[in-house]
This record gives sequence, C-alpha cells and structure tokens, in this order.
Amino acid sequence: MKVTIKNWVGVATWRWVANDDNCGICRMPFDGCCPDCKLPGDDCPLVWGQCSHCFHMHCIVKWLQSQQVNQQCPMCRQEWKFNNK
Amino acid sequence: MDANVDLKKSWIMIKHTFPILDNNFNWPYAQTTDAQLFETINLINRFGLNATIKSLIISKFEEHVRKFVVPKFWAFFTTDINVGEGFGNFFKAVDYLYTFFTNHIHLIGNTSLLCNSKPIYNAENATDSLKLIIRATLLSQLPLNYNKIIEEFYETALKLENNDDTACPVCGNEPECSCLIYFHATNSKLVELKLLEPLCGQVLTSLIYGYIESYINKTCKDNFDNSYIDALEKWLDQFIINWLRKVYGCDGSSELQEQEYKQKLTNLLYETYTKVRINQLFNIIIEYPESSPALEDLSKCLPKTDLRPLLTKKLQKAMETRLLHPGVSTPDILTAYVASIRSMRILDPSGLLLDVVTQPMHEYLRSREDTVRCVVSSLTEEGPNDLAEELVKGDAVHVDETAASDEDTENWEAWMPDPVDVDPSKTSNIRRSADIISMLVSVYGSKELFINEYRTLLADRLLSQFSCDTEKEIRYLELLKLRFGDSQLHYCEVMLKDISDSKRINHHIKQDANYTDNSFPISALIVSAQFWPPFKDEQLELHPKVLSQMETFTKSFEALKGNRTLSWKNHLGVVDLEIELKDRVLNLSVTPVHAAILMRFQDQDDWCLDRLSRTLHIPPIILRKKIRFWLSHGLIDEFMKDCFCLVEEHDTNVPNLNADVVLDDYESESVMASTQDQREEELQTFWSYIIGMLMNLDSLPLERIHQMLKMFAFQGPTIECSLQELTQFLDRKVREQKLVFSGGLYKLPKNDML
Repeated sequence: MKVTIKNWVGVATWRWVANDDNCGICRMPFDGCCPDCKLPGDDCPLVWGQCSHCFHMHCIVKWLQSQQVNQQCPMCRQEWKFNNK
Repeated sequence: MDANVDLKKSWIMIKHTFPILDNNFNWPYAQTTDAQLFETINLINRFGLNATIKSLIISKFEEHVRKFVVPKFWAFFTTDINVGEGFGNFFKAVDYLYTFFTNHIHLIGNTSLLCNSKPIYNAENATDSLKLIIRATLLSQLPLNYNKIIEEFYETALKLENNDDTACPVCGNEPECSCLIYFHATNSKLVELKLLEPLCGQVLTSLIYGYIESYINKTCKDNFDNSYIDALEKWLDQFIINWLRKVYGCDGSSELQEQEYKQKLTNLLYETYTKVRINQLFNIIIEYPESSPALEDLSKCLPKTDLRPLLTKKLQKAMETRLLHPGVSTPDILTAYVASIRSMRILDPSGLLLDVVTQPMHEYLRSREDTVRCVVSSLTEEGPNDLAEELVKGDAVHVDETAASDEDTENWEAWMPDPVDVDPSKTSNIRRSADIISMLVSVYGSKELFINEYRTLLADRLLSQFSCDTEKEIRYLELLKLRFGDSQLHYCEVMLKDISDSKRINHHIKQDANYTDNSFPISALIVSAQFWPPFKDEQLELHPKVLSQMETFTKSFEALKGNRTLSWKNHLGVVDLEIELKDRVLNLSVTPVHAAILMRFQDQDDWCLDRLSRTLHIPPIILRKKIRFWLSHGLIDEFMKDCFCLVEEHDTNVPNLNADVVLDDYESESVMASTQDQREEELQTFWSYIIGMLMNLDSLPLERIHQMLKMFAFQGPTIECSLQELTQFLDRKVREQKLVFSGGLYKLPKNDML
C-alpha cells in the first residue's frame, strides 16, 4: 500500500514566545490584546525591554508617557530601553 | 201576559241576532240585517238588559273559543304528524283560526253596540277585543312542543327562500307552486291576529341564530386565506334581514324595532364568527402568512365581542395539547413561536395578548436543551427561514433596552393608554417593541448564553468547512452586532479574522524560499486561542513524516511573524489522501486521526491494538472506534481479537464481509469542548485547593470544604459551585481513589501523602 498525502490542512494556535503568560501592566494574556485593542497579534504586538521584561506595546508606551522623570521598567525599575534584537 | 209572549218572541229574536246564545250554536252563520240588529238592540234596551245580555254573550263566546276553537287549533299541532307535513298543518291551523276570526268580527261589533259602543276589555275597538280574547285563550292552552311545527314551518320557508333547485322542497312540484304564497298568507294572517310575535317570535329567533351559525360554519371553516366579515355582514343584510322583513312585512312595525333586531343579529354574527375563528386560531397561526386575512377579521371582531379571555384560554390550551410536548421537534416549536408572535402583532398591537400567549412557550422553550442551538443555527442557515429573514429585516432594536422611557416627546399625540387588563408592573414600551429575535433571546434571560452558543457553532462551522468562505459569516456577524452590540461579538470577529489571516499566512509561507513541502503540501488554520471556545483536548501522536513537515511550517511562521510560534492541534483538521492498493486506488478526505492510523499501517502490515494505542497516544477504546472507519472501507481487517492487519487485495470470490460494519458518524461530532467539559475544567481548579486544605487539616466534612472554597476559590462571578455539585465531584474523586471518605469526613489516601 502506498499512502500519498495530497493535502493536509491542520489547525494550530499561535502564541508569543515570552517568559510570562500575562502582560505585567494590563494583566491581560499576551496572546489576547491590551484593553484598548480589539484584534490580537499584529495589531497589538509585544515589545521587549533590555531588562528582558515584555509588555503589550500599547501598555508600555502609555506607561512611559505617564512617567515624567525617569523611563523605567515597571517590573524591575531599571531604565527602560527597547530591545531591538 | 202580553209581555210573556213578547218575552219568548224577543228571546228568539235576540238569539237570531246573536246566534252564539243558542246552545246548538254553529258557525258560519247568516248575518242579520241592520234593521233586524237595531230592532233587537232597541228591544234589549227596552228591557234594560243590555249589560246582562252583553256579559252573557261574552261568556258564551269565550266558552266557545275555549272549548271548541282553540282545541281544534292546537289539534293541528299535536296529532301525529309526519315529517314534512308541518308546513301544511301550520298553514291550515292559521287558516282555520283566521276564518273563525273574520266570521266573528260582526258578532263582537254588534255586542259592543249594546253598551253605547263602549269597547270590551278596554280594547281600542271591537276587533281588538276579539283578538285579545282569541290570543289569551290560545296562549292559556299552549301544548307541549307546540313550537316544533312552527319551527318546521319556518325552516321550510327558509329553504324555500334559498332554493336554487327547480323543484319546490315542500310540495316537490315545479317552481311556480303556491307554497310561497301560502307562506306569505300565513304570515299576514298571523300579523293581523297579532299572533306572530307571541307565537313565533322565539322560534324565529332561535331558528335564525341556528341558521347564521351553520352558515358561518359552512362558509368559513378551514379557510383562512379570505376575509369574510364584510361578506357575512352583507349576507346578513341581504338575506336574513330581507327575509325577516318579508315575514314581519305587513306588520309595519316601527323602523326602530327593525334596527334593534338587526343590531342584535349583527352582534350574534360577530360573536359566532369570532368563536369559530378562535377555535381554529392555532391552525390559523401555524399557517401564518397565508392566514392573515383571517387574523385581520379576528382583530376587527375582538373589540366588538369581548371574547378576549376566551381567546387566550383556548389558545393556551391548544398550544399545550398540540405544540408544547416532547413529540414536537424544537425547530417546529420555534417556527410556531415566530408565527404566533407575528400573528399576535396583527391581532393586538398593544402586545398584551402576545405576552400572555407566549408565556407558556417561553417556559417550555427554556426547558429544552437544544433551543439555543436551534435558534442560532436557524439564524445562520441557508435558504428561506423565518428567523434569518427577521434578522436581515432588523429594525435594529437593541436587546437590552433598559433606558426605554414612556415619554416619547416626538409622538406624544399618538400615545395610547394600555388596555385595562394589563399587568401594571411592566412598562408598555418593552411590549410594544416586540422584536422577534430579542424576544427569543430573552427566553434565556441573558444574551451571553446565546452568544456563547453562537460562538461555539461558528467555531464548529469554521473548523469543519476549511473552505474559508467567510463572506456570509461576516454578513451575519454584522447583523448580529446590530442587535447585540459590538462588545459581545468581538470574539467572533477575531475568529473570522483568524480565518482570513490564515489564508494570507499560508500564502506567504508557500512563497518563502526557506520553506519546502518536499513530502506533501500542508496548510494551517491559525487561530487565536484566547478568542476561540476551548477545544476538546485530545492526544494524538502523528507520523514523524507529518511532524517534520509541521516543524518546517512552524519555522517559516516564526520567521514570518517575529517572536511568535505555533502549537499544533494534531487531532484537528482534514486530510486528503490517495491510497494506492494492489487492485485499486482510493481518494478519501479523512480526519488526522484516521490518516495517522493508516500511515502506521503503511510502515508495518499488522498491529495489535495495545501497541498501536501506545504509538498513537490514543486510548484503546477510542482507537477501536476510529479503526472501524477503515474496517468499513475494507482496508484493514481484524484477523484475530485486538489484532489488525492491512488488506492489500480483495479476493473477489469472497463477499465483502465488512460491508455491514456500522460507520460511526464521526463527522457530526463537535470538536469544541462541551459545556460540561468546560465545567469540568473549572472544577479541576478547585481540586488543587481541596488537596491543599486536606494536607493541612487532615480531614474535613463536606460543608467545611464548601465554605472554605467559597472563601478562597470562588473569586469570579461565574465560578460558583453548589454543594450538590461539589458532592458529586468529591464522590467521583473517591471512586478514582484520590480521596478517602469515612465517617462523613474526606481524607487524602495515605500513599498520596508520601
């Protein structure tokens, strides 16, 4: 017998490769989206800091804008720098 | 002496003038001349006996009427009569009485002359007093069942009036018979005697009532697609009233009376018609769009008849016996429900009736488990469908109209008060805005339930089709959004977007230079797990060849979308296979599980159930079910218990033994976790709490566990667990030997502690 697969349509779920499940700011799952967004994934991406913490981009931007003096990571209080790896 | 001779002679003369004083009286008799009459009267006056003679005459006359005339009249009624003779008999009876009457007008007239023409019994004139005497005596001797004959007489007359045949129904002769003339003659005689109303009034009325009823039943029954009310009124006016006019015609009785009678009959007509329609209301509702003329008739009749309570009672009863029982399928009930909402809107725009009538349906629908599913699937189904139509029509009424106020400033002039029998606790606005879909949704109390069901069904459909035809779904979603608001359906929106995104991603990956589908083409439906209903969790170890292909796909995905990766749901999807055997080629579209099984047989010709189960990570029971699919295709054979082998070639001489293997309807199974499974998962989260409690406190009674869970674990509003549910859950754990139950206390088993 010879079985040939002509086409295979599978189902997969996508997820962010991150060291946590939930965003530390909005407490929503990374795989979902921040409270202001409707669509997950490309429309509500994650960003990583050099301190290796990651957040919804919209969440951390909002946080940084609210900080007048020092731009710090809300988790570890180190200076926030985007990690553009 | 002279006077004596005179006396005898005078008495003879008096008797001659008033023959009734003679003991051998008989009529008809000869009339006396005026000269003779005056002579007699003068004579009586001379004797001064006028009062005595007068009373003598009257008593004699009354006796005669009592003893001879009236019994003879009633004899026409009481002697044995055959059916069909009533018409003639009544005619004869009336004729007899009338002859008697005309014969004696003179007598009474003459008598009244005795007392300076003073009328007898204070009647207006002598004729009237004669009529009075006859009538009084007649009615004092009414026999039993006298009205039978009269009824027959008028019934025949009605038939005569309505006669289309050439032959007369009475005598059976040609149409130009004299029956109708007899009928009219009888009537006019009765009218003249003033006997028509006392004798026949009641009979006539009941006859007409019966006639109207049977006519309505005959014309309107089981026919709902025409309006009858106008035609009926016209019929009443042209036929019944006309006929009555003929009967009472010569009477010349006042217009007013006729008006009154007509009013009565019209009322009766309406009432009868309404009753007929109410009895058929259930059928009318079921046939709804076709039966709307009947409904409009009914809505016209209802305000005139005061039959609303009857209507609600009858309809509810009909619903109970014909619709709301286990023998009717849910879609049918829903169809009836929609039809009844629509028809009640015609019947009663205030919405009160609707409220009352649909109440039992609501309660019943709530008790059916598959209602939501049916509502949702019929909402989104293809083809003509009431609910889908309603959805498209959508005067986007928001489901939660909490802010609705009674003060509609725009239309205050058109405001109408609620009907008197309304329940004041509900505001009228909610009732008036009776939108079918919102009503259906309100059956469940919450739209969340409804939307969840929709989401599950949508997920099932999207995963089973794989055809990426999302246009229709998007359209429905937009329509639903109009009703339920954006926020509720946000998840579904993401689901649909996942489908179209997957299409694009697949396309991108195919063009990726690093991606090669050297072994076979693969594509994926990439879903956002957070937004889809939970999947049924099933283990399946795929063939390494497939896994490596998936790995390649994942790599390409990771490259395409930074920092993101894929987790495959191995058991979901669809696979197109081409199976080449020695004697044939099969093309099949199967589930991944079936494909995985067959691919194992490609590597090795025979497998025992246990080993295959371990290789594929599927429990043997489920595996056996899945293998049955291939058994039914004749590709695999169970050559001994729990051992399967590949069948490469069919021996054409041996009939296909496996032809009758029952094929599981594996396709109809939902891939989504059922509500029960989801609940199970929630309960599992409590399990860790319970273990923690029992570790610290050694043993606990049920109530304490429940209380502590309440304190610590039931945080969200949805996560609740009744005592009963907890008992069941713990009992199951006891059966699984993860708990020990003794003396009303739950404990962890010893080995678990170690």
